[in-house]
Parts: sequence; C-alpha cells; structure tokens
Amino acid sequence: MTDMTAGAAPVRGTLVADAHTRKRNASEKRFRLYGAIAVSLAVIALVFLLTSIVRNGAGAFMQTYISLDVTLDAAKLDKSGNRNPVEMAKVTTFGYAPLIKDAMASTIAANGIEIEGLDKPEDLISKEASAQMRDVVLANPELVGETRRFEFVADGRIDGYYKGRVTMQSAERDSNVTPAQLRFADALKEAGLLETRFNWNFITWPDASENRPEVSGLGVAILGSFYMMLIVLGLALPIGVAASIYLEEFAPRNRLTDLIEVNISNLAAVPSIVFGILGLAIFINFVGLPQSAPIVGGLVLTLMTLPTIIITTRASLTAVPPSIREAALGVGASKMQTVFHHVLPLAGPGIMTGTIIGLAQALGETAPLLLIGMVAFVREYPSAPPEGFFEPATALPVQVFNWTQRADPAFIERASGAIIVLLVFLFIMNAIAVVLRRRFERRW
Amino acid sequence: MNDMRLIDRKTTMNEIKIAAEGVDVFYGESHALKDVSVDIEERTVTAFIGPSGCGKSTFLRCLNRMNDTIPTARVTGRITLDGEDIYAPSVDPVQLRAKVGMVFQKPNPFPKSIYDNVAYGPRIHGLSRNKAELDEIVENSLRRAALWDEAKDRLAEPGTGLSGGQQQRLCIARAVATAPEVLLMDEPCSALDPIATAQVEELIDELRQNFSVVIVTHSMQQAARVSQKTAFFHLGHLVEYDDTDTIFQNPRDTRTESYITGRIG
Ligand SMILES: Nc1ncnc2c1ncn2[C@@H]1O[C@H](COP(=O)(O)OP(=O)(O)OP(=O)(O)O)[C@@H](O)[C@H]1O
Ligand SMILES: [Mg+2]
Repeated sequence: MTDMTAGAAPVRGTLVADAHTRKRNASEKRFRLYGAIAVSLAVIALVFLLTSIVRNGAGAFMQTYISLDVTLDAAKLDKSGNRNPVEMAKVTTFGYAPLIKDAMASTIAANGIEIEGLDKPEDLISKEASAQMRDVVLANPELVGETRRFEFVADGRIDGYYKGRVTMQSAERDSNVTPAQLRFADALKEAGLLETRFNWNFITWPDASENRPEVSGLGVAILGSFYMMLIVLGLALPIGVAASIYLEEFAPRNRLTDLIEVNISNLAAVPSIVFGILGLAIFINFVGLPQSAPIVGGLVLTLMTLPTIIITTRASLTAVPPSIREAALGVGASKMQTVFHHVLPLAGPGIMTGTIIGLAQALGETAPLLLIGMVAFVREYPSAPPEGFFEPATALPVQVFNWTQRADPAFIERASGAIIVLLVFLFIMNAIAVVLRRRFERRW
Repeated sequence: MNDMRLIDRKTTMNEIKIAAEGVDVFYGESHALKDVSVDIEERTVTAFIGPSGCGKSTFLRCLNRMNDTIPTARVTGRITLDGEDIYAPSVDPVQLRAKVGMVFQKPNPFPKSIYDNVAYGPRIHGLSRNKAELDEIVENSLRRAALWDEAKDRLAEPGTGLSGGQQQRLCIARAVATAPEVLLMDEPCSALDPIATAQVEELIDELRQNFSVVIVTHSMQQAARVSQKTAFFHLGHLVEYDDTDTIFQNPRDTRTESYITGRIG
C-alpha cells in the first residue's frame, strides 16, 4: 500500500485474481476433486456389486422344463376303478414315479433317440415331478386312463447344464449326473421337448429340500416378509408418530423426557440381534406366541423400527417453522388443533420418508429373525391374515441366508436371485419415498 | 406533526380494557421487561414505540399469553382483561387468544390457500353457519385488510405465494376474521408500501370503533397518525405513557424527547 505513491509501482488490478483468491480457488478445486473421487468410488463399488449379483442371480429366474406324454395308467393309480379321490390318495408319490419312467422310455422310442451308456433317463426330471403329477390327478380324477402331456421341471443338474454351471467335464466327476444324461438332454432339446425359459415359480413356489433346488421358490418368504411389513407398518407408524408428537409438542422438558430421549437414540443404535433375543424372551417364552410366525417377527421388527421412525418424525416436526405454530395459536387454535391442522401436514412427507426407510431396514433385517425361528424350513403357505400372522413362515433375507448354507451350487444361484428380489422390493420402497417427498414437498 | 393527524383526538376517558400492573418478563436469566404498568383503553389505538430490543414485542406477547410458548420465558405481575386476570390458573390461553388477536412482526401465513388462511379462525371458532357466511367473512376480512382486490381472483392459491406485503395484509385479514376484541399488531406495516400502509391505518382507525388496537411501530409519524395513546419503552422500562399528543408535543421524560426527535434509538 505504501508504494502506491511511487510512479513505477505495478498497478494492482482489483478484479484479477490475486494470490489469496487463487489459493482459495485452488482449495475449492481440490475439494471438488475429492468429492468427485468419493462419488466415483461409491458408484464403482455399487456397479460391481450389482453386476455380480445380477450375473449370479439372473439364472434363478430361468428354468429348464421337459415335456413328456404320460399315460395315467388306471391300474396303477386307481385300482378300485371308481375314481374316488379319497381312495386314489392312497397312492403315494412313489406310485407315480414308474409312470414317469415309462413315459421317458416311450419318448426315447418315439423320437428314435439312441444314447450310448444312457442310464436312468428319468433322473433328468426333478424328483418333485411325481408329487406335482399326483396333485394334478387328485384334483382331476377323470384324467386317469388318458395320456396327457405334462411339462416337468428338469433336475437341477440339467438346469445347471443350460446355465453353464454343469459341463460334460464336471458331470464325469459328479455322482448325480452322467455325461450320457447331458447328451440325452441335448437330444430332447433338439426334439423340442426341452426348453429353458422365464420362471415365475421361483417367486411363487415355497422352499424345497436340499436335493431339489430346481423347485425351490420364494413364495413363503415373500408372503412372510409381506406380513411382517404389514405388522410393522400397522404398529410402528401410529405408535412412533404418536410418541414423537407427544414428546415434541406436548411433553414438558424435564429430566424424565431427557432420559427418554437419550434412550430412544440409544435404542436406534442397539444391534438388531439384541432385539431378536428380546423377542425370543418376551414374545415366545413369556407371552407364548408361536415360533417362526410373522407376528413375532413383526413385533421384533416393530421394536427395531420404532426408534428410526421416532427420530425422523421428531426431526420433521422440529423442521416446521415455529412461526406457523405461533400463527395458529395466535388465531386461537388449541395446541392439538395447531399440531393436527398445521404442523403434522407439513411434517407429513418427512414422516412418510422416515417410515419407508424404517420399513426398508426392517425388510432387510436377518439377525433377529434367526433367533425367533424364522429360519425354519417352511413349505406351507401361511393363510390370509389375521390367522396367517400366527402360522410359520420365513422371510426374504433369512431365505437368502438359508440357501447360502446349502451344499448344492444351484442354491447359490437361488440365493442371488432372492437378493435380486429383495433389492427390487427395497428399490420400489425407496422410489415411493422419493416420489412422496417430491409430491408433498413443503411449500412455505 | 399536527397536520399529519388522520383523526381528531378528543380523548374522552374510555373504559379500561386491559390493565397491566408491575409486569416483569424474564427470558431465562435475562430480565427483558421491568415493572411495566399500563392501562389499555377500550375503543382506543395504543402505540408502543421505542428503540429496537427494548421489549415492545415482549410486552405485546404478554397480553395474549403468547410468551407461554417460549419455554424460557417467565412472566410475573398482573394483567387483566375486562377485570379478569389472564394469568389466573383457571384461564384457558386458547380462549384468551380468540379474544385477543395478534398480527406478528414477520408475516406468517399458513401454507394453505388464501381463502383457508382467512377462514381458519372462523372455522375453528364456529363463527359461520354455512359456506355463504364463511365466504362473506373471508371477503369482508380481506377487504378490511386492503387485500381483496389483489386476492379475489386467486383465493385458491397458496398464501405463501403472495409478496411480503401482501402476506402481511393476509395475516391482518386472518386476525380480523376471528372478530377479536383486542387486536395486537407488531409492526404490521414494516413490509408495506405507503398505499397499503395508509389502507391498514384506515383499517386500524375503523377497528377502533369497536375494539382496542395495540400497535408496535418504529414510525413516529404512524404512531402520531393512528394512535390516541402512546407508550415509550426503553431498555425494558416503560418510560412514559400518555396521550399521543402529550408524548409528541410535551414529553415529560428527556429520554422520550430524545427518542422522538431522533437522538437515541
Ligand atoms: N425468545 C427469546 N429468548 C430470549 N430472549 C429474547 C427472546 N425474545 C426476545 N428476547 C430479548 O428480549 C429483549 C426484548 O425483545 P423484543 O423482541 O421485545 O424487542 P422489541 O422491542 O420488539 O424490538 P424490535 O423493535 O427490534 O422488534 C431483547 O433483548 C431480546 O434479545
Ligand atoms: Mg419486536
């Protein structure tokens, strides 16, 4: 400044960035770069995760089917001949197995297929097939005696062959499948009797036993998860919102409410497995509710979700400007009217977002459900609510856990498929949260 | 200043509407209002003037117990409305606020339609029997707040979409709609242009026919124009309270004189 008087002094351009401004700009650029790097890392991780899950799990949505003309031999299925379903029910699934064997033999003959060393061609078909056929026959006794085309689910190894999981080389070493059987499958495909296509059954069928991955599905798990979400929504939303409104708007500020507040925050941080132990001790051992039932899972998840809902609801209640409350009180509205006419509608979008995020958390929760027995093997669909709440079921994340524990690699594919289904549900829920937030965006 | 007067100020002694005796207000530890005693008369406009932060809003908010909503605020002393102690335990502040309406310093319309903003008070107090009556109340209130011409074609639009000055007039309309006996106005014209200000002042004068109006203002001219009584606050004290004429022409306290002549503030 002092040399301003000197004529030769450089003119200080006031608008050109000086050293100080350049430094500030540089640090801003650096900060942006850090941000961009962080975002890219997150995106790369996400893309990697999603592609690997989709690559592993997409196969679960495809299934190989084999069509066979089965002669429903009256001598085998209905010895008395009077088509009485009660009597016919005495024939077990074992009684149906020979029919498939016969049908296979006649198919080979009819199509002129000759495969060297082919043994047990009926093993191409899932062990579940005879049970499925029995269900059809018992439902329609008049079919007995006819020859009918059935489409059976192919065995897991054959299915794996068309998804690249099983190869001729691996079949050599595999006691469950032979290369000859694979060649036979190719021959069937040539004859148009075998195809691999989209598989709704994966979503609708119940779980299946260890050696029948091809007929296992998510039906019971989806239903169980859905029931639990209903319970969580029905309990956690009203209780959580009521508690938040009370604490935020009505409760006096004193030691007790401070204590409650601290404990709610603490509860939000309690590991979920602790809630499982609590649920086991209280709901099952003390109250005596049934194990593996959605009601118990729903109650445990409600306890887990409540802190989340209370915290987000209180945050959105405090976000409503105090001037709105003053305005309402100023025209003579009561506290209750102020809250319900003005504050709650403005906090609504925030509450909905919090609730959906809480629900999404609950949907993906596994650990507490393991403890209350939701990990059990359940093949019966639970009935419609409210009875269904008390009947055994599983849940989506537990099903994933369950399948990853099994030996057959086909279950890995199923587990990845289940993860995709779970992610799709979570994605839908989050999308709903975003849409709701946009639609009811606060306007003040 | 005399020629600015809007109304003639032949002060007859009116009945006392609100009487405050020895009111102190504390915000936590800080003593915001010190031993204030004022009698607010019926059918009179009372102006509160004083430098920023001297406690005008604080005192105004005591009169309809709006301070109850601030957890740290503590009010002592005695304030009566028509002889009834408004801080008595049996008094319901909700009922009090229906009688003592308020326009706040910052415009705070509800994020609802213009119509619903005005209709809210009458609705919750059951002031209308049917839609037609409610429509009438809304129109009247908006007219009195000098907003009708601008708002009549957009009653369904959100009140928050109005300009700042329009929002303030909407808040005035909302306060008027509940037909309060006393209207407390905290700097109602600070966001208004001269024309709207003149209209609001006209409204204040009209309200005086039936109600008491208490107005906080930073404009000496406004206080002189609209009020019959003026109270001058300074640093939490009520320095002087008298007829507006006296305050502006013959103040007893030197602080009052310095303030209205622009030397402190
Ligand atoms: N909610 C509050 N909590 C704590 N202190 C407050 C609160 N509201 C006001 N005060 C304090 O009380 C004193 C009086 O404030 P008040 O709002 O009554 O001033 P005012 O005369 O209305 O000023 P202005 O003309 O700027 O509106 C100030 O010192 C202020 O800081
Ligand atoms: Mg003020």
